[in-house]
Amino acid sequence: MIVVDPQKCSGCLRCEVNCSFFHTGSVGRSRARVKVVKIEPIGIDYPVICRQCAERYCARCPESAIQIGPEGQIIISPTLCVSCGTCQTLCPIGAIELYDGIPYVCDLCGGHPRCVEQCNMGAIRYEPRAAEPVSLKGLRAARRKLSPEEKRVRFAIDSTNYLRDQWVSARRS
Amino acid sequence: MLHGYGGHVLRVDLTSGRIVREKSDPRYLIKAIGGRGLNSWRLYDELKKDVDPLSPDNILLIGVGPLTGSLLSASAYTTISAKSPMTAILGDSAAGGFFGPQLKQAGYDQVVITGKAEKPSYLFIADDHAEIRSASHLWGLDIVEATTTIRRKLGDNAVQIAAIGPAGENLVKFATVACNNSRMFGRSGMGCVFGSKNLKAVAVRGSTPVSMADPLRFLELCREMDRRIFEHKELSNRHAMGSTLLMKALNDMGLLPTNHFQKGICDYIDRISGQTLAKKYKVKNKSCFNCNIHCSRYYMTGEVESEGPEYETLCSYTSRIGNDDLVFALKMNAHLNRMGIDSLSSGETIGWAMECVQQGLLTKDDFDGLDFTWGNAETIETLVRLITYREGIGNAFAEGTLSLARRFGRGTEKYAFHVKGLDMICGDPRGMKGFGLTYAIASRGGDHLRAEPFFELTGRYDEAERRWGIREIADQLSNEGKAILVEHTERQALLTDCMTMCKNIGLSMDVLDFELASKLLTAGTGLDFNVEQVNKSLRGIIDADRKMNIDFGIDASTDTLPYRFVHEPLEEGPCKCQVVPIEKLVKEYYQLRGWDGQGRPADYVESSQKKNLRKGDKSGGRNP
Repeated sequence: MIVVDPQKCSGCLRCEVNCSFFHTGSVGRSRARVKVVKIEPIGIDYPVICRQCAERYCARCPESAIQIGPEGQIIISPTLCVSCGTCQTLCPIGAIELYDGIPYVCDLCGGHPRCVEQCNMGAIRYEPRAAEPVSLKGLRAARRKLSPEEKRVRFAIDSTNYLRDQWVSARRS
Repeated sequence: MLHGYGGHVLRVDLTSGRIVREKSDPRYLIKAIGGRGLNSWRLYDELKKDVDPLSPDNILLIGVGPLTGSLLSASAYTTISAKSPMTAILGDSAAGGFFGPQLKQAGYDQVVITGKAEKPSYLFIADDHAEIRSASHLWGLDIVEATTTIRRKLGDNAVQIAAIGPAGENLVKFATVACNNSRMFGRSGMGCVFGSKNLKAVAVRGSTPVSMADPLRFLELCREMDRRIFEHKELSNRHAMGSTLLMKALNDMGLLPTNHFQKGICDYIDRISGQTLAKKYKVKNKSCFNCNIHCSRYYMTGEVESEGPEYETLCSYTSRIGNDDLVFALKMNAHLNRMGIDSLSSGETIGWAMECVQQGLLTKDDFDGLDFTWGNAETIETLVRLITYREGIGNAFAEGTLSLARRFGRGTEKYAFHVKGLDMICGDPRGMKGFGLTYAIASRGGDHLRAEPFFELTGRYDEAERRWGIREIADQLSNEGKAILVEHTERQALLTDCMTMCKNIGLSMDVLDFELASKLLTAGTGLDFNVEQVNKSLRGIIDADRKMNIDFGIDASTDTLPYRFVHEPLEEGPCKCQVVPIEKLVKEYYQLRGWDGQGRPADYVESSQKKNLRKGDKSGGRNP
């Protein structure tokens, strides 16, 4: 899976840009499978991407259009998918989102993630064999009604609280 | 289908509330390229030249280029243009961040704003939907508060916003517009034009991806650009300090403005340098859209946290005004960003006042008791507050240094360091002659970015010989060939502004040449941007700017530098005894541009002669 280090992330969006370009030949956030959340007043930048969570909420697809691939990535069947948006609603962190009826989620680029390749800050790494799957339990119920963008913002804040504490203790003590 | 470009122009009349979405005309785009070029031609074609910059008839333009928001590194920029309230000539300012790419994804090349809203308003654009919304609840808020409030209300943190602060609302002549809270459209008072139209902000969200005509070729060219960037010898320093690396670099050259350009060497440089800032206060790197240098920085001090500062702000609020307290400068950076005030122009008003007091021309009594001794932090802070709200003496300062000096008279005009009403940047031109020429001829006034001839600071003698056959061009103290250099880099600067790319990378790092740009533009848009066409377009825009400025009232006598830089040699350091022979350089430059002795393009002279023949013909309408 892809691992994020927000201390190193400058928020440049190169991951987003290259993801979109390599999958579709064009550049736009709506077609990117990784989306960087920028919380400008507190200096936080955080790329939100599928965590390959233990619960696999999105795979509860009513049409069985979602399968888990050998690297743990999400595989969506374009023939079975009816664009119902259940996966988008179920994902607690906004890592899967529909655009023009198509769900966009990280597919690991067949084992060579372009976002990782193009991040020259080292803020995102690819670890093919991550030890323990991350659990997102507890997040889902509270966030069910939020938009994908709002879910990403909440997730980014939760995931970077420690970083703010580090900055404050380094610069303000 | 038009690739690269957004494909539409949005026309918004704030008086009537009428909004029209027009298709962009490819013939116009070839001529204007995009960004600043597109804005310049629009002003040239549609603005009544004698308009009061603060009247509803002034045209406010937001332009992006054909490659903005694309795979091209640092294709992040946006240009805002209008007739400048500060200088009453062409005004424009570019900023990076994420606003431009979002405007492109909403399908636009340009937003054309005219009229004046009856009440405080903001413009909301979401793809092909656009509406004018009330901003009564936002009026009075600072830029960070206003941006956050709009995002909360829309429930969308990814919406991009260009907003003004209280300074813009109060029509401070050098008010800024900011996107992403701290990417500033700083120069020439575009925030003041926003304020004059009762326009608090423009918010935009787009969902259409930017397509390229030949994506594989474009990818190949972008990787070539990345290679040039990654192999560049300045990469690691720029990554660590951004433009603040210039503090120490210019001080080493003896050109760091100290006590309002009285000296070029600052005794306390180690306390205010980019190195010190990075070591003691930086917490992480920040970046504009799709950049691989990440030159911006987020910092924290005991009191504030913010992004930046860039060199011009840092120098303007430290050595230029005799302040050795870095923490205070960082606090002011955060504050100026929130209030929406240009650090350069406000810094120059302070420097001017401090020098006038030191020279004995003015005293405390002239400034309502404010004590303008060098580096007086209390005075600086108070003054910035007075400027923001135009209170007391701040009302006069809010007009800019030139107007301020004219008001006081008594010989103080000599110390107003401006060209054409725009305050000079923080680089002493006496030891870099190409820069000196740039300030003098820049079409928006005393500024380096029109041609930033950074080449002369890089010591590349062999490269100078190869390109122009004149080795001395690489010598910053030489006057030889500097007009040739500036003619060249002026086109290169305009090219980056049109595309729109970051000038620190395209120009200062010298990685964007006309060949590569022509290939990128062609592969991106599918239009035939061959090298000749690109250069023809660039020359056309430079001439259009000039013709417009002549109509606004400039002439050859304004293509000059303040007295000090022409007549008072530097007293110490590597550039000792140097001044700028500005008349000679400007004359050479006119010749290279094909302008006459008065700095007028040939077709301008012809057409004004014709106009004189046709007396009473007031149409004046120019068609593209």
